[in-house]
Amino acid sequence: MFKYTIKRLLQSLVTVLVVATIVFLLMRMLPTDYYFSEDQLMKLTEAQKQEQLAAAGLLDPIPEQLVRFYGQILRFDFGESRRIQSGVAVIEVIGSKFTISMKNGCIALVISLIVGVLLGILQTRHKDRLLDHIGTGYTIFVNAVPSLVSYSLVLVFGSKVLGLPSIYSSRRPEVSSILPIVCLALASIASYALWTRRYMVDELNKDYIKLARIKGMSSKTIMVKHVFKNAFVPLAQYIPASFLYTIGGSLLVERFFSVPGMGPLLTDSIIRYDVNVVQTLAIIYAALGIIGVFLGDILMMLLDPRIKLTGRGGTR
Amino acid sequence: MKKKSRVLALVLAAVVALTACGGQGGKGGDKSGELKDLYTFEVAQREMENVFILNTEMANDLNVLCNTQEGLLETDPKGQLAPAVAEKWETTDGGLTWTFNLRKGVKWVDVKGNEKADCTAQDWLTGLEWVMNSWKNEAKNTSMPTALIKGAGDYYNYTKDLKKEEAMALNADKGSKFQEMVGIEAPDDYTLVYHCTDNAPYFATVATSACLYPLSQALIDELGGTDKVRSANNEKLWYNGPYTLTSYIQGNEKILTKNKSYWDKDAKLFNTVTIKITEDTMAAYKLYETGELDHADLDESTVRKIADDKDNEFHDQLVEKLPRKYSYQMHWNYDKRNEDGSSDKNWNTAVANEAFRQSIYWGLDLTKYWSRTNYVNPLHCENVAYTMKGLLYTSDGTEYTKLVTDKIGLPESDGKSPRRYDKEKALAYKKQAMEELKAKGVTFPIEIDYYIIGGSQVAQDGATVLAETFAETLGDDYVKLKVDTYVSSNTKEVIEPRLQSFTINGWGADYGDPQNYLGQETYGEDGAYYSNNYSNINDAKDKELIATYKEFTKMVNKANKITDDMDKRYDAYAEAEAFMLNHALTVPANLEVALQLTHVNDYTKTNAMYGICNYKYKNWTTSAEAYTAEQYEKFAEEANK
Repeated sequence: MFKYTIKRLLQSLVTVLVVATIVFLLMRMLPTDYYFSEDQLMKLTEAQKQEQLAAAGLLDPIPEQLVRFYGQILRFDFGESRRIQSGVAVIEVIGSKFTISMKNGCIALVISLIVGVLLGILQTRHKDRLLDHIGTGYTIFVNAVPSLVSYSLVLVFGSKVLGLPSIYSSRRPEVSSILPIVCLALASIASYALWTRRYMVDELNKDYIKLARIKGMSSKTIMVKHVFKNAFVPLAQYIPASFLYTIGGSLLVERFFSVPGMGPLLTDSIIRYDVNVVQTLAIIYAALGIIGVFLGDILMMLLDPRIKLTGRGGTR
Repeated sequence: MKKKSRVLALVLAAVVALTACGGQGGKGGDKSGELKDLYTFEVAQREMENVFILNTEMANDLNVLCNTQEGLLETDPKGQLAPAVAEKWETTDGGLTWTFNLRKGVKWVDVKGNEKADCTAQDWLTGLEWVMNSWKNEAKNTSMPTALIKGAGDYYNYTKDLKKEEAMALNADKGSKFQEMVGIEAPDDYTLVYHCTDNAPYFATVATSACLYPLSQALIDELGGTDKVRSANNEKLWYNGPYTLTSYIQGNEKILTKNKSYWDKDAKLFNTVTIKITEDTMAAYKLYETGELDHADLDESTVRKIADDKDNEFHDQLVEKLPRKYSYQMHWNYDKRNEDGSSDKNWNTAVANEAFRQSIYWGLDLTKYWSRTNYVNPLHCENVAYTMKGLLYTSDGTEYTKLVTDKIGLPESDGKSPRRYDKEKALAYKKQAMEELKAKGVTFPIEIDYYIIGGSQVAQDGATVLAETFAETLGDDYVKLKVDTYVSSNTKEVIEPRLQSFTINGWGADYGDPQNYLGQETYGEDGAYYSNNYSNINDAKDKELIATYKEFTKMVNKANKITDDMDKRYDAYAEAEAFMLNHALTVPANLEVALQLTHVNDYTKTNAMYGICNYKYKNWTTSAEAYTAEQYEKFAEEANK
């Protein structure tokens, strides 16, 4: 187990480094004109543009820039933002957004886990009855209707009927976060309900459940001790990654409710060619993805001792 | 089940109660019915990027920062210069030397409003040193000081040749290289003198621009040196304007809070101004509907919906904004290229022909195009001059563009059809152009390449209307507007490779003089922005066209030499502008006079056609109830008296 963890950690580090290098090289392949706004492109002379590029170290040979970049990563110095918040350290720009996205995302995840799994269990218990149909209808609706439409419904209901703020306000963060959190949770609830129901129904049809019933075990004990426990294992694998992804925020929801989170930052920084911000975000997202999968494996193994991640007996 | 319902009801009630407790929204009027706090918006695309005023030329930033920083002068609702930190200003030698007398008691404060230092003349020296130091300010805001202030350009070049550390160590103190080289001095704490490169009778208007804003050396020292200034956030900066930027949450909202130490104690200020970021104008409209904003811009479809439905709750509240400071023109490209870089001879020959240009100048009825901006009164968007209406007035109060239209001989508006549109004239020019151009081997219909950004339905709709307008009057046998798209950068993908036949572009003045407009179109001059970047006239081959441009340039330069009599100066510029338009060297396209819903009386806002002060939240008259179209008509009548 220890060896496996160390090995996976090292692999993860290498992967993050490779991703960082690729992103760095891709950004350097862009024409340098993209470092300037439309106004600057028109107004600055060629000499002035070259001076600015030189001052930013962008005219140095690529290997030299790359080595400097690695050095910066090691020192956790990701440079300054050029366009998102001119002159401000990237870590500072991301830091404030990170907290908001993670807070909203975690609350949404907890809600969707509780509500989604409960809904899945209830659907299983009332299979082919009204509650099951309602749950299935909800899942189909959320998946079939474009997200923006369902967000609009939440917005209209939330703001016009309940009087909730329709965009995020730093002066009332709790109240103004309700609608974004609901929207964030909508799809996850459907997803958790769908998979819980599916895995539980699968389990219910297995022979050991029939045997347990014949042996006189109560329905409640069967559901909790056997069916749910076994059905939850494949679901659990994705929970750490989901938690970590909350840091990344949701592009659509955060844009829709003007939440100053991480979601729109990547697209904004790409559109504005804020190289340092793009590079840092790429590294963060790569690291989150890798760590998420790794923790998922560990969690699955802890929940179900039959699963081995190393050796010949490994199931994965 | 009953128990569950009760719990649900309780939760809902709690949520509603919690919401009601917040009391957010801008409708809290005081006894006079005016708003104490203003809630306004900006769309996400125009979110500010910079909190340090000297380091930005972007309107997105300056619209906020003009509230936190105070310059020498500001502008009033009539667009006239007004005192700010400078109480008085004068020139005694036709604009070569300018003296500003600063008021005492202006304070720098920190973000919490604590007084930090006095604002004195030396701060303007420090500010200009920062702007003109190539290592400190990345060449931002340098163009006007370089052109207008003695030695400023030389100082920029001097710092450019230094090592970064050497340049960063420079300052504007007594005996400094800056004071030795640059034509600015502070004889005492409250007197500031600028020495111009040439007679600049309009120099005072430059004092409303960001390039001449102050910076305190004490702030630089407090921040820990020059390299810390650009990275300072709103909480670390000092302020001398009517507000401090107490909150800046990128992508969400900014809060400006009244500066209690602001010098103008009589000024009417809001307690706070909240600028929310919304995805687009539609989102802002939704916030206005729920009372979370005090004004909303409207997109075309919303305007139509409100205007066409008499029962709509906002029908009577649809009011017109004052024109934005941009005069939009169709700028021809006289050296158009094909995708492979070769010359587009068909277009270049056509556009060099005066009859061809005149046929378009007189033949476009742009009413439908304008109605996309102003569905109710599209003719209010008509632009008939090159210089922005309201930029200048002669000593008898005549508005400058009136001089131009009188010289062109345009009829007054009848309120029904565009002033310039003349179908008969256009068709006569069309006939003449077809004869002349066929003789030169031009093939018809002449293809006109017009570029818009890809993926934008708004841009696509505008282009479609424009194409229909060309076809309706001028006919498909003559010209055909082809709509092309670019991916992200108009400059890189279209303008630099010279692919466009024409571009519609708006120019907002940097300072209050016709030179700032007409100087952009002159022939063979380095500073002529449109000639060098858009029309490419300097690379045109047609001798007649070049001769026309040279004549125009001569007229502009002649007007610029008149510095002792402003009426004569403006008249000479009006002559040059009329000449330019009579030869259809550009075609005035539109003004931005859009519709809005608002609790603010726009006629009390700063309204200048130059400088950075139009979004200064000072002395605004507001109402807890939204203004109606009827009220706005009265405001307009009073303003036009």
